[in-house]
Amino acid sequence: MAPEESSTPDEQLVEATLGGDDHAFAEIARRYKGRVFGVAARFARNTAEIDDICQDVFIQAYFKLRQFRRDSPFEHWLMRITTFKCYDYLRKHRRESGSISVDAMLESGHEPSAPEHPAAHPDLERLRAALVQLSPKERLIITLLELEERSIQEISGLTGWSASNVKVRAFRARAALRKLMEIKT
Amino acid sequence: MNEFTPNPDAELDALFARARAQRPDTSRAEYGFETRLLARLRSERNSSSIWAMVSWRLIPFLGAGVVALLVWNAQLSAETDDAVQTAYNENPEAVEIWSHLN
Repeated sequence: MAPEESSTPDEQLVEATLGGDDHAFAEIARRYKGRVFGVAARFARNTAEIDDICQDVFIQAYFKLRQFRRDSPFEHWLMRITTFKCYDYLRKHRRESGSISVDAMLESGHEPSAPEHPAAHPDLERLRAALVQLSPKERLIITLLELEERSIQEISGLTGWSASNVKVRAFRARAALRKLMEIKT
Repeated sequence: MNEFTPNPDAELDALFARARAQRPDTSRAEYGFETRLLARLRSERNSSSIWAMVSWRLIPFLGAGVVALLVWNAQLSAETDDAVQTAYNENPEAVEIWSHLN
């Protein structure tokens, strides 16, 4: 049976969570997990990593809930945490994996496409392999701008970078991606 | 200029559009997420409450350490003052030059 949709406003659920009601927080998680999983899946390599990122997001949201100011929607605040957690993940993963060329990655099957992706077109596999080669900041910006279709202003709000900084980073990220894609062709 | 060279940005944009259309299916990963989250939340709360308990118990020891440091510092500065006074009595000019340089 599908879970019953709750119409309780977010603010009320937040208050209830702060009052010690774990079920209210579970309802928040149920309401927003789709959005958080969707973004995390653009970065993580497999289901376990997606789950780890998403749990980290909601755990941080829970412990920082008192810092949530009611001047913007809860979802914006949660997506900001999601962005930071994904960026953290990229930085950690970058340190662990070191550098490997796009070609070598594709040949070795090391390419980190999540298993949930259906059999992708070779060009998409190449794009994913190239994205992995970008720096964490470049990958974050390309993913948010081009794959999640966020506006410059939204990205600025999510990352805390100025709008002009976002534009410059996006331009450089595209150039880096083009260069990486040309290595293969 | 070669008219047949494809625009690399158009190529990239087409790839992005295709990647956007192929949203990863996370429904399997989402299954039972709330249960896992609440279980982790309980364990995180337990570990943080243990830390809170331990840190409260450490407060008297830390307080004693701070008091000991203050006493030691006061003694040291009194000894230094005495040493400066003795040196001044023995050779006032040298002490004045020294303090001027510092």
